[in-house]
Amino acid sequence: MTTYLIRRFFQSIVTLFIVSIATFGMMHLMPNGVVRGMLGQRATPQTIAELTHRLGLDQPLYVQYWRWLDRLVVHFDLGTSYQKSQTVNALLKEDMGQSMYIVGLALFFTIVISVPVGVLQATRRNSVTDYTITTFSFIGYAIPVFFLGVVLRDLFQVQFHLIPIAKQIDSFHAAFSQPDQMILPVATLVISGVAGYSRYMRSSMLDEITQDYVRTAIAKGATKRRVLYRHVLRNAMIPMITLVGLSLPTLVGGALLVEQIFNIQGIGVLTINAALSSDFVIVLGTTMLTAIVTILGSLVADISYAALDPRVRLT
Amino acid sequence: MALLEVENLHTQIKLKKSTVQAVDGISFTVEAGETIGIVGESGSGKTMTAMSIMRLLPNGGSSPEGSIFLDGRDLLQLDDEQMAKVRGNDVGMIFQDPMTSLNPTMTIGKQIAESVRIHRGAGKQEGLDRAVEVLSLVGMPSPQQRARDYPHQLSGGMRQRAMIAMALANEPKLLIADEPTTALDVTVQKQILELIDGLRERLGMAVILVTHDLGVIAGRADRVNVMYAGRIVENTTTEMLYANPRHPYTEALFDSLPERGADSGTRLYSIPGMPPDLTKPPAACRFAARCRYAQDDCRAQDPPYRVDEVGHEFACFHPVGAALRSGEEVEVTLSEVTSTEELPTPELGEVLLEVTDLVKDYPITKGFLRRQIGSVSAVAGVSFSIRKGETVGLVGESGCGKTTVAKLIVGLEDTTAGAMSLEGADLAALKSGERRKKSRDVQLMFQDSYAAMDPRMRVRTVVREPLDIQKVGDKESREARIKELFEQVGLPASALERYPHEFSGGQRQRVGFARALAPAPKLIVADEPVSALDVSIQSQVLNLMKDLQAEHGLSYLFISHDLSVVRYVSDRIGVMYLGKLVEIGPAEAVYSKPIHHYTRGLLDTIPVADPEVEKAKASSGIVGELPSAINPPSGCRFRTRCPAAQDICAQTEPPLVPYGTDGHLAACHFPIWE
Ligand SMILES: Nc1ncnc2c1ncn2[C@@H]1O[C@H](COP(=O)(O)OP(=O)(O)OP(=O)(O)O)[C@@H](O)[C@H]1O
Ligand code: SF4
Ligand code: SF4
Ligand SMILES: [Mg+2]
Repeated sequence: MTTYLIRRFFQSIVTLFIVSIATFGMMHLMPNGVVRGMLGQRATPQTIAELTHRLGLDQPLYVQYWRWLDRLVVHFDLGTSYQKSQTVNALLKEDMGQSMYIVGLALFFTIVISVPVGVLQATRRNSVTDYTITTFSFIGYAIPVFFLGVVLRDLFQVQFHLIPIAKQIDSFHAAFSQPDQMILPVATLVISGVAGYSRYMRSSMLDEITQDYVRTAIAKGATKRRVLYRHVLRNAMIPMITLVGLSLPTLVGGALLVEQIFNIQGIGVLTINAALSSDFVIVLGTTMLTAIVTILGSLVADISYAALDPRVRLT
Repeated sequence: MALLEVENLHTQIKLKKSTVQAVDGISFTVEAGETIGIVGESGSGKTMTAMSIMRLLPNGGSSPEGSIFLDGRDLLQLDDEQMAKVRGNDVGMIFQDPMTSLNPTMTIGKQIAESVRIHRGAGKQEGLDRAVEVLSLVGMPSPQQRARDYPHQLSGGMRQRAMIAMALANEPKLLIADEPTTALDVTVQKQILELIDGLRERLGMAVILVTHDLGVIAGRADRVNVMYAGRIVENTTTEMLYANPRHPYTEALFDSLPERGADSGTRLYSIPGMPPDLTKPPAACRFAARCRYAQDDCRAQDPPYRVDEVGHEFACFHPVGAALRSGEEVEVTLSEVTSTEELPTPELGEVLLEVTDLVKDYPITKGFLRRQIGSVSAVAGVSFSIRKGETVGLVGESGCGKTTVAKLIVGLEDTTAGAMSLEGADLAALKSGERRKKSRDVQLMFQDSYAAMDPRMRVRTVVREPLDIQKVGDKESREARIKELFEQVGLPASALERYPHEFSGGQRQRVGFARALAPAPKLIVADEPVSALDVSIQSQVLNLMKDLQAEHGLSYLFISHDLSVVRYVSDRIGVMYLGKLVEIGPAEAVYSKPIHHYTRGLLDTIPVADPEVEKAKASSGIVGELPSAINPPSGCRFRTRCPAAQDICAQTEPPLVPYGTDGHLAACHFPIWE
């Protein structure tokens, strides 16, 4: 286990390193973009050159990267925004809470809903219930998250005023203290999540039900219920966990879109605005953060996988 | 009243477009405490009979019709809840494959305890205690610890013991064992069968033993039901059945056994054709299309069940043999139709393949840096040779290195050490181009041709592949060659357009054989080529292999765990144990006068289809399980299981030395040699 964690740790460092180089390289393909964006239309070549020099953007790329990396490793500092007079660390700290909160809630409800739905479908295979749910899953799966969010917003907030339109949510506290404002963003993510996960759960259950050990359990005298809950469910959950780990990036991506729709100042909005104004340091910071979350997610998935399945050893 | 009375049982299974009459009107009884055998070919309805009793039919299975009285209660009339109380309590069942039949994520202790908790309302601890108790009853070493293990942590034999413990936890009156040892090694098979036998006596339960193996039934069952195409065609005591089969199908099964052919050196009888399609079974005798005694009445009517004067039951208009009590002399008159023609004995030429001190170690690595922490000694210094036109058989338990030897010879694996030469040319010294040309001379034939064929390829392409790869001739000559090959292996040319799944097991082995023959090799390495086949089909493939050997002067390295098959096909037999060749010599000598204690044990362990022989077996065969090849025992690797082991066996490795003058060699300090 320890060897495993150490190995995973080094692997993660390498991954993060590659992610940072790739992002860095891509964003600096247009070196003047930042400065022009900061100074506006009336910038003279001279002021541009001056600011470029001050920001260190005239240095060769590897020097810039080295400086960024050096600050990150030595001071744990992701740099300072070009446009806002704030450090990226501070910005992330401000916006991270509400984003994580939404992703966490969405993940929780997605699993809590899709597992029973999948089980229900598998046990009532080819019944009206199964077909109905399948139809809704396909619809849910086919609608883009963004579109779904807009529809929900227009329907519940604009059309019927079921949920009041609040002012921008810009802190974890604001998110936590206004649960009604979380309903729609989370629901958007959950609906599209459940559509995929429940189908997966259904087929995973069906795979397990046909296994030989199920026949053994029945031959022992176990009732249907017992077979289902004591034997099949646990085994069917194992592949689900891998799926959750793997689809975490998609969920995070979905959260970014949802923030935009429901006026939540989170990592998503921060990233999009920074990208639009060529504030690369911020984009670099949020990319690194997302990468870390993804890596941690898949690590947790792998560990739970091993905990659930005694055949898997972490080495 | 008998414990179990099955009357006129019909079980159907609905498929997409048709209905399989899997069990079609069978009746039999099981008395308390007796073992009933059910034998028959694959698809004859053995499993469905067992499943009908448990009411555990697969999807599409209708509820069986007829009646199944257990202790006077008709199981078919019970509701689901009542039936659940019967399963695991009054009737226990064990299945073929103990790996897939156990829940992989639950400890075996818990799985056994579950059975007790369901039926006896026992608590958690009470259940676990009982689990440990039954585990020790089934001879599980250190049951306390094993109860906490998961299935994958146990060996195949131990898993089957756990399965048996689960089925017996509530001391049922009836145990149904469906092919309980088919997935196990011969040595373990014997131990498991003995265990079931012992427990039956101790617990006074009855056993229904379902198997395709006539040898397994011979030594274990009191009475035997022979099934064919969903019906019971013959039913009598085990002694009478083996001494004097009355139904032509049973007789044909016996005639197909390789042990019958090995003594006389004759061609094996093989039942022509295939069993009927059970979606539309013929209205007449179901065996008529394949029966060598069939007459017009057989094709017009269904033969009724008859009982002869000595209580031997069968369903046939023209029974073979005569009504005889067991013990009465049977005058052996081989029926005219039985072919007694001698198989051609090929001329043995000079040495084709010479293998010297072959070694293969597989490294085991561990940790972050994949350090090598040890190695599996799969093959440890094996030497032998094969002459032109000769068949050398290789036997041994699974895990003893037979398949690795095969892979090394055909070049699928690289050797760790040792030399191989083909027709005098050292294979390692050859340049890669020449080596490729030489490698054409050695071809591999698999146990399961299906797994080795691309399911989306027509067999035409499957067979042509080696020719394409080797760039043999032009397109037209390759096509011609394929047609010729199919004719040789006895498949119609129309079969070329079919896909692998559209063949039966035996036909697929023929396709596999055709593919191996395609590049006109000199040596075919056949790894368990008939192990997946029924006896009647097995004999077809064996005959074919012998015929083509005589025709083309082929050599075979024939690998099998089944000594009687190996004895039938081989000129010489090599016995492997844990990576070592412990004995090699002329087939007859190894079989009838073994020198090494392992060979002796193997011979005692392998079930023979003759109740007399089975009863007469004194030794209990080989005890224990194969040790790990990671740290093989010092000295003689067999010493941990050898009844004759002495101190020297642990210290010095016995060399392979000749006994007599017929090339019979063995490696043992205390040989069985007088
Ligand atoms: N799950 C299933 N679905 C449809 N048909 C089946 C199924 N299982 C068995 N059958 C059919 O029922 C008949 C009897 O099969 P059964 O499994 O009882 O044979 P068996 O004698 O046990 O054979 P084997 O030696 O291969 O185990 C066969 O025709 C088979 O094709
Ligand atoms: S009834 Fe006729 S066809 Fe059927 S087994 Fe007897 S002899 Fe053969
Ligand atoms: S050498 Fe010793 S241990 Fe090995 S088979 Fe002979 S007697 Fe048994
Ligand atoms: Mg079967």
